Amino acid sequence: MMTELPSGDSGQPAAKGRILVLLDGSRVGYVVLDVAAAIAARTGAELQGVFVEEQNLLRSAGYGFAREVGSVSGVSRPLDVTALEQRMQRLAEQSRRALAGAAGHYGGRYQLSIARGSVVEEVLALAEPEDLLVLGRARWSTIPAGWLGSTARALLHRSPGRLLLWSHQQPPNHGRVVVFLNEHEGANQRAIAAAAEAAAYSRQPVTLLLSGEAGVAPDALATLKRNLGVPEPDVRVVPLPSSDPATVARVLRQEKASQLVLSRDCSLFREPGAENLLAALHLPLTITP
Amino acid sequence: MAVPAALTEDQIYHRCPIEKLDFESTDALDDLELPVGQERMLRALEFGASMKASGFNLFVLGPAGAGKHELVKRFLSQHAAGLPAPADWCHVFNFKVPDKPCAIKIPPGEGRSFKNDMNDLVSELKTAIPATFESEEYQARIQELQEEVAKRQSEGLFEIQEEANRNNIAMLATHAGFTFAPMRNGEVIDPEEYKNFSDDEKELVESKVEELQKKLQQAIQQVPRLRKEVRQRIHELNEEMVQLTLGGPMGELREKWRHVPAVVEHLDAVREDIVEHAEAFQDGEDGPPAGLLNRYRVNLLVDNAETEGAPVVYEDLPSHQHLSGQIEHRARQGNLYTDFTLIRPGSLHRANGGYLIIDARRILTQPMAWESLKRILFSGEIRIESLERLYGLATTVSQQPEPIPLSVKVVLLGDRMLYYLLSHYDPDFLDLFKVEADFEDDLDRDESSYALYARMLATMARSAGLRPLDKTGVGRLIEHASRLASDQKKLTAHDRVLKDLLSEADHWAGQAGSERIEAAHIQQAIDEREYRASRIRERSLEQIQRGVVMIATTGEHVGQVNGLSVLQIGATRFGQPTRITATARPGKGQVADIEREAKLGGPIHSKAVMILSRFLANRYAPMGQLSLSASLAFEQSYGGVEGDSASVAETCVLLSAITGVPLKQSLAVTGSMNQHGEVQAVGGVNEKIEGFFNVCRQAGDVNGQGALLPASNVEHLMLNEAVRAVVRDVRFSIYPISHIDQAIELMTGLQAGEADSEGVFPEGSFNRLVADRLEAFAKAAEHKDDNGDTDGHGDGDDD
Repeated sequence: MMTELPSGDSGQPAAKGRILVLLDGSRVGYVVLDVAAAIAARTGAELQGVFVEEQNLLRSAGYGFAREVGSVSGVSRPLDVTALEQRMQRLAEQSRRALAGAAGHYGGRYQLSIARGSVVEEVLALAEPEDLLVLGRARWSTIPAGWLGSTARALLHRSPGRLLLWSHQQPPNHGRVVVFLNEHEGANQRAIAAAAEAAAYSRQPVTLLLSGEAGVAPDALATLKRNLGVPEPDVRVVPLPSSDPATVARVLRQEKASQLVLSRDCSLFREPGAENLLAALHLPLTITP
Repeated sequence: MAVPAALTEDQIYHRCPIEKLDFESTDALDDLELPVGQERMLRALEFGASMKASGFNLFVLGPAGAGKHELVKRFLSQHAAGLPAPADWCHVFNFKVPDKPCAIKIPPGEGRSFKNDMNDLVSELKTAIPATFESEEYQARIQELQEEVAKRQSEGLFEIQEEANRNNIAMLATHAGFTFAPMRNGEVIDPEEYKNFSDDEKELVESKVEELQKKLQQAIQQVPRLRKEVRQRIHELNEEMVQLTLGGPMGELREKWRHVPAVVEHLDAVREDIVEHAEAFQDGEDGPPAGLLNRYRVNLLVDNAETEGAPVVYEDLPSHQHLSGQIEHRARQGNLYTDFTLIRPGSLHRANGGYLIIDARRILTQPMAWESLKRILFSGEIRIESLERLYGLATTVSQQPEPIPLSVKVVLLGDRMLYYLLSHYDPDFLDLFKVEADFEDDLDRDESSYALYARMLATMARSAGLRPLDKTGVGRLIEHASRLASDQKKLTAHDRVLKDLLSEADHWAGQAGSERIEAAHIQQAIDEREYRASRIRERSLEQIQRGVVMIATTGEHVGQVNGLSVLQIGATRFGQPTRITATARPGKGQVADIEREAKLGGPIHSKAVMILSRFLANRYAPMGQLSLSASLAFEQSYGGVEGDSASVAETCVLLSAITGVPLKQSLAVTGSMNQHGEVQAVGGVNEKIEGFFNVCRQAGDVNGQGALLPASNVEHLMLNEAVRAVVRDVRFSIYPISHIDQAIELMTGLQAGEADSEGVFPEGSFNRLVADRLEAFAKAAEHKDDNGDTDGHGDGDDD
């Protein structure tokens, strides 16, 4: 792995962690980069771009019979290492420029790491618990809607810190930040902290979803509400009859959710089809440890 | 020839017999529904208003201020009250051709209801359709559908991926698609290592990769079909949901409007369109887009809910847009937008099924308005087109509303000149305006007309909110109406003049604290009007008094006479004397009209001078040569001279110049003359006589002065009180003359003399003097010719 482009200082107080953004030269990647840069500007955190040259892909191009089937046209074309390497270099260069542009636009420190290997492994090697990892649902926009890419799927579970899974669809303007609470107090606090940041930035009211199994004591709930830093009338507590994906989807629609915050330990992840639900929800999704 | 007796006071003024007015005040009189003495015009109006055939539009012609507009409006309102109210018209969105809004005819008064129904429907759509789309049921179904399709779409990929995995082949996503490669433990095998594979293994892997690539190709190529299928299924679902939501309200509306098939058809089109745009009802947080909903609204163009009978519309600004309607635009962020709701009706729309009253002069002064009106009347339908489009100045896309069938009776109001000019120069005019309703300028004045005229004045005063008139006021106004008509046997029908006079008299009555308008107030109004307009007249009199303009009112003079002329400045007319002089000497039968030579004389005046020249030749030298070189001039006249009313005066002065017999300067003369010496009527006699009287009065005591006028003009005399007073005292005499000889006798005091069978006038008579003198001229001329002398003027005609 090599790290390049150390950048200037914006003068902002350094945040604890960095904003890690996965760059791959795709359109989704650039949208996510913009989001990440905005967060970095807001929090004063360093923006760390990660561009991984996928080893598997490079290997596959080394086969004489290797071909690339177009995701839209279905047309099959020969694929060779030289072309692929050139393409990767081009994408890396584009990503570098995009990162510089985004960081320059918002101001702040940034750097780009370019590595070769497995995407998940390289990201995990770089990520620390204090970091916020920002990525799209799937790397390539050609992948069908409602499909969570394998990288996103793996990082959802394995990321050491907070993860923001961005949706490229525009969420409603007058929606609410919805927080899914569970029985783990620590996890709840982390989720509330993330929700407080999101609510403060978007100036949106907050809904706390309490699943039937989440035994949050009234005083603990009061503390959580207080920690949100949102005026009392703007906080709504909604009990969930069950945490099956259909019910959650309905409640999220009712609440006009604009983003969802939930802990990795959340009971929802234990439900079958939960990942599909998260994939189908066109909402920015924050997963806290 | 006997000299006529001077006219008496009764002959120069037709008094109104107050005793025959059987009321004390006009309060006691009923209103007059229809005007007096306009039977011809009323019959034309009745015919034109009732005539169904096309082209029978009306042109009401009469002088300005005759009250045409008020009368026509009143008449048509009464006529239209008995007719049914016409249909309402509205424009609705055309879902097939969006820039051509449809027109729908709806029974009278029901347009509002249709508009409200559609507004209610729109309100319902705003809430009901989004509610349907937000419902659990719809969301679940749409999700199922999307999931199914997404599943089918991803299933293909998954299956291929699974199959690849089963065969230890990795399916990798690239920047632009997918690729396959052999793998082991989730890692793609290094190509170098792959080289060590046996040929069989390699063949197996490669054939599998090829097979997977083909499958992937097929799966990907299925996607467009799948997407189309999902769109179709979503559309079907939307249709089903909309049908369920709108089924009730739409059903009610269809039932309600069953009697108007066009509305039912439109409702069906609306339903189809809602289904078509169901997605738009789901999107957005502020409900469905207003632009979409507005397409279901109704632009009620013509609303006859309040109309009783057929409409009678007066268009006071008959521009092209105001007549045929227009399409307005709304400015939004610097751009102009329009849609069918911005189509505005014109007066033709509002008058459709009834009557449209337009001032002819106004429509002719508006660009394209006259042509547009004719085009619309010819085509029988109203097509809204902007002026820019008509002129070809705008080619931007705009609305082209469906034309609306037209059934209207257009009533043009204008003066006669305009009617005759249009008839002559516009070939379409008589095709479209076949009914001519001609306003009478004057009404007959007889015993029976007093009561009606009094009622007319009563109506006028009442409608203008003026004081009532007492009988003396009515009498004075009737007398003044005769003066305005310049006829003892006529009364003016000029509405505006009478109204203005009444209003002024009312003002003076108010100033005097009177509750009624009396004769004195009418007289004061007349006098004040005259005074206000008298500046130029008084300047003219002043010029005469100071001798700047030379007019003699006493004594006798050869070759000089007082002619009478009328000056009109604006609405003011006044008479004044003009000195006419003549010279005569031997010559070649030539009477030089100096006015004509100086190009100051008009053609009628020239004609009159030629007539008098022929008269002289015929009368005094019937068998010989008229040896005369004479000239005639209007002294101190610097403007044009026109008309033949001075021909009697010109004859007298010319004869005086020939004979050397002086003419009385105390008498002024007016009258036209024919070739036989008969005196013919002229115009403006009242003003002329009053004008001469004013000059005489200004010059000193009026005593012995007078005026000669054609006998046929006597019944036009309605002279003012000042003149009547001196006539009463026989200090001012007005002589009615019918022949030039009477004028000669009155002006010279000599016998005119009648020619015997030989054509010889009696000795000592004036005419004999003329004949002798002309003979002497002839001899003198002959003598000069014999001596080789010629007359300086050689362009005269010889007899």
